Amino acid sequence: MTADYINICLADDDEDDRLFFTDAFDELRINTKVSTFNDGVELMNYLNNEDSILPNVLFLDLNMPKKNGVECLLEIKKNRKLDDIAIAIYSTSSSEEHIEETFVNGANIYIKKPNDFENLKKILSEVVTMNWQYHTSGLNKENFLMRM
Amino acid sequence: MKIYLKFDYAQLTKKIVHEKLSELGFKFNIIGFGEFNFLEKVPSDKIEEITRTFSEYGIGIVENQKSVLVQKIKDTIVEMVHTDKPFNIKSSVYIAEKLNLSYPYLSNVFSEVTYTSIENFIIIQKIELAKQLMINTSFNLTEISIQLNYSSVAHLSTQFKHMTGMTPSAFHKIINKRRELSNKNNN
Amino acid sequence: MEHIQLHKSPLFLKIIFIISVAIIFFIGAITFKHITVLKKSSTWIAQSYEVNIELERLLSYVKDAETGQRGYLLSKDKNFLTPYYSSKQRIKKSYKRVAELTSNSRTQQRNLKRLQYLISRRLNFLSKTLYLVEQEVNDEKALAENSTIGKLAMDSIRTEIEGMIVTQKSLLRYRQQDYNSTMNYTPLLIYLTLLITLILITIAFIKMNKDLVLLRNTINTLSVAIEVNKLSEIIGNFGSWQLNLETGKYTFSDNQYRLLGCEPQSFEAGREEYAKFIHPDDKELLDKNTKNILTHNDLHPFTYRIIRKDGEVRYLKGTGEVVTFSSDNKIFIGTTRDITSDIDDKILTEERNRELESNNKELSAFNYIASHDLQEPLRKIETFISRLITKDFNNLSPSGQQYVSNIQKSTNRMRVLIDDLLQFSRTNRTEKNFEETDLNTLLENAKQDLAQTIEDTNAIIKINNLPVLDVIPFQIQQLFINLIGNSLKYHRQGIPPIVEITYAEVISNEEEFLPDTYHNYHKINITDNGIGFEQKYAKNIFVLFNRLHNKNEYKGTGIGLAICKKIVENHKGFIFAKGQTGVGSEFTVYLPVE
Repeated sequence: MTADYINICLADDDEDDRLFFTDAFDELRINTKVSTFNDGVELMNYLNNEDSILPNVLFLDLNMPKKNGVECLLEIKKNRKLDDIAIAIYSTSSSEEHIEETFVNGANIYIKKPNDFENLKKILSEVVTMNWQYHTSGLNKENFLMRM
Repeated sequence: MKIYLKFDYAQLTKKIVHEKLSELGFKFNIIGFGEFNFLEKVPSDKIEEITRTFSEYGIGIVENQKSVLVQKIKDTIVEMVHTDKPFNIKSSVYIAEKLNLSYPYLSNVFSEVTYTSIENFIIIQKIELAKQLMINTSFNLTEISIQLNYSSVAHLSTQFKHMTGMTPSAFHKIINKRRELSNKNNN
Repeated sequence: MEHIQLHKSPLFLKIIFIISVAIIFFIGAITFKHITVLKKSSTWIAQSYEVNIELERLLSYVKDAETGQRGYLLSKDKNFLTPYYSSKQRIKKSYKRVAELTSNSRTQQRNLKRLQYLISRRLNFLSKTLYLVEQEVNDEKALAENSTIGKLAMDSIRTEIEGMIVTQKSLLRYRQQDYNSTMNYTPLLIYLTLLITLILITIAFIKMNKDLVLLRNTINTLSVAIEVNKLSEIIGNFGSWQLNLETGKYTFSDNQYRLLGCEPQSFEAGREEYAKFIHPDDKELLDKNTKNILTHNDLHPFTYRIIRKDGEVRYLKGTGEVVTFSSDNKIFIGTTRDITSDIDDKILTEERNRELESNNKELSAFNYIASHDLQEPLRKIETFISRLITKDFNNLSPSGQQYVSNIQKSTNRMRVLIDDLLQFSRTNRTEKNFEETDLNTLLENAKQDLAQTIEDTNAIIKINNLPVLDVIPFQIQQLFINLIGNSLKYHRQGIPPIVEITYAEVISNEEEFLPDTYHNYHKINITDNGIGFEQKYAKNIFVLFNRLHNKNEYKGTGIGLAICKKIVENHKGFIFAKGQTGVGSEFTVYLPVE
């Protein structure tokens, strides 16, 4: 399994954020393959394509044009085929009600976008590691909730 | 209607492996959790068949020696955490004794393979168990903290928050709301 | 009460009058009866005397006859026979008279018959003797026998007459007694009845007098009430009108005219006259609403416009109801109020409210958007700086390195401010979802949230049982976090903080800071043993961005307690602080009991 890499997707309309994200993974020493999408529609098209390799972890920005993060989340949770993907919300908002709502709707992770690059690296590393633990150590995915 | 299951992964895995290997006509004995000894030479194409069969169940064959050791460490920890008995030996001592290897060595191997420390893995396991107990039993947080050998509820709360970024009650609330939502959708 | 008394009086007086008249009739009847009795009695007395006299006379006539006969017998002179014959005639006459007088007494009649028999027997003997003498029959023996029998008859006549006189006398006595007894109680009876009449009349008089005083007082009160009513109509800017449902006649009060801008009673009250003042657009409305008066005896309050005599448009509100007086006399009483100023005020208030609301909305939207959208670029600045520092810090000149560090510090400070501001504006913005919540749970959650700090400071949190209330759970939890967090943050160096949370239900007027409204409040007290503060700052600490300590001493933006205040206000409650430097502080939250 160690030979495999972890598949990661990010949907975010902000170019800088996509850059920070990919840079952070580049600097981390985890074997990952990161794909990014500019909006929800683009992401869903990819996920719904039969040939696509499904990500292990999907990072979703909430505030996106065309199709926002919550819409994507609901759509993914309705689709049994995509049920296995761990979903991380990746947003600027820190409203408690907002956070609770996304968790209730099926998100596993909520990340408030950090204001420090090193911090971002640390968070992404922790998220991936934790997801890896759930994947490899037979933990109950229903209980996979994490807030960074 | 929705029902909630509680299962023993070790038992489950052992049973599946036992059934499948018998089906394929191998002679083997079970040494410990996750460790089997074949009583005859197994050709490589057969190994492939076994790998294929088991992958359907999410069971993989650990190939290299380090991975085997890591798996053993993990098994020991899971067993340790899930035991009902109060635990008064330090976990490092327990693991080292159980595997008959020095703790620093084990610790090194574990970090190298899993990108995380043994201590962290123990905490993950404990918090996961706390989650299970919170959701599926009527124990309150104080009782759970006692059962999991925490010195205080505050200690459990702090560790829970550190690991998950949220308080135990926030976690509980979300799970309850999820259940309400799915019940509503099912009805 | 007075009204009822007056109402009953006539009946009472009527009864007294009837009784008095009856008594007077009664007295009259009794007097009449007695006079009749008196008259009868005197007749009886006269009659009795006459009977006696007549009887005496009868006896003397019999004696005369006897004397005449004896004289003849002795002298044989026929002249002596004249009284004898005449007396016969007289006896008959006298007898007849006595019979007449005693016709009403059966005893006397019986006696009289016996007397008549005796007299006729005597007279028979007398004439027999006379016959014998005339025939010259000298039978001495027969003569003697005859005269003896005659003498006996004469004696019995005398006895009989005497008996009759006695009987007559006793009769008279009885009658006199009867008469006397009647005459004795008559004056007493008359006197008594007169007395009763007098008493009744006196009572009637007193009563009438009292009623009169009452009436005068009532009239006084009434006239004052009328004046008060007139004045209050002027002051209260309303008028009243009446419609007699029997006669169909309208009456308007003075102020009703004034409402229309007219002199009081300057035109005759009436529907048509009044309708002339109604605003053309509201005529239909008025017709529709007043139609009910006659059919349903009801007028719902409604507002209409009039055009006053001077052309000014005013808003009037009319209402009324039917009042039934004593005997089916139904009157519809209506009032009309000039509510033009009320309507003007209402329009003004509504306008201001709308303005205020939109201002508030704009402000909070601005606040939210400002703090929310400012986060984005700020976060990027921070991230880029952090990248710059990790990657190229060593390539910068020492002063450049200093600049970059300073930029980083300032952006950090700005981030904290924006975060807090956002949290504050969110307290305002979030939907107010009230839920029945156990405050103990919220407090427990708050403790979990603060678990690290509690452990670090070795704090002791004492909690007494809190109630289940209808609150916004997130906010009350935040309130607890902020207040307890505050206590933990401002603890005295080296002294583990002790935070005590108590609860009680109280009545507002027994509380120092609450208004005297007699409302019940849930009182939650949070007391600590921290550094405290000077009481004069007790109000300031709740003001946004207000800090009592230098930011180098204690971290923070001075927004935590402002959020607390906002949260408590969202729950229509109050929050107060008390402090003493070096001793501790006390925060009190009051939430209203529904």
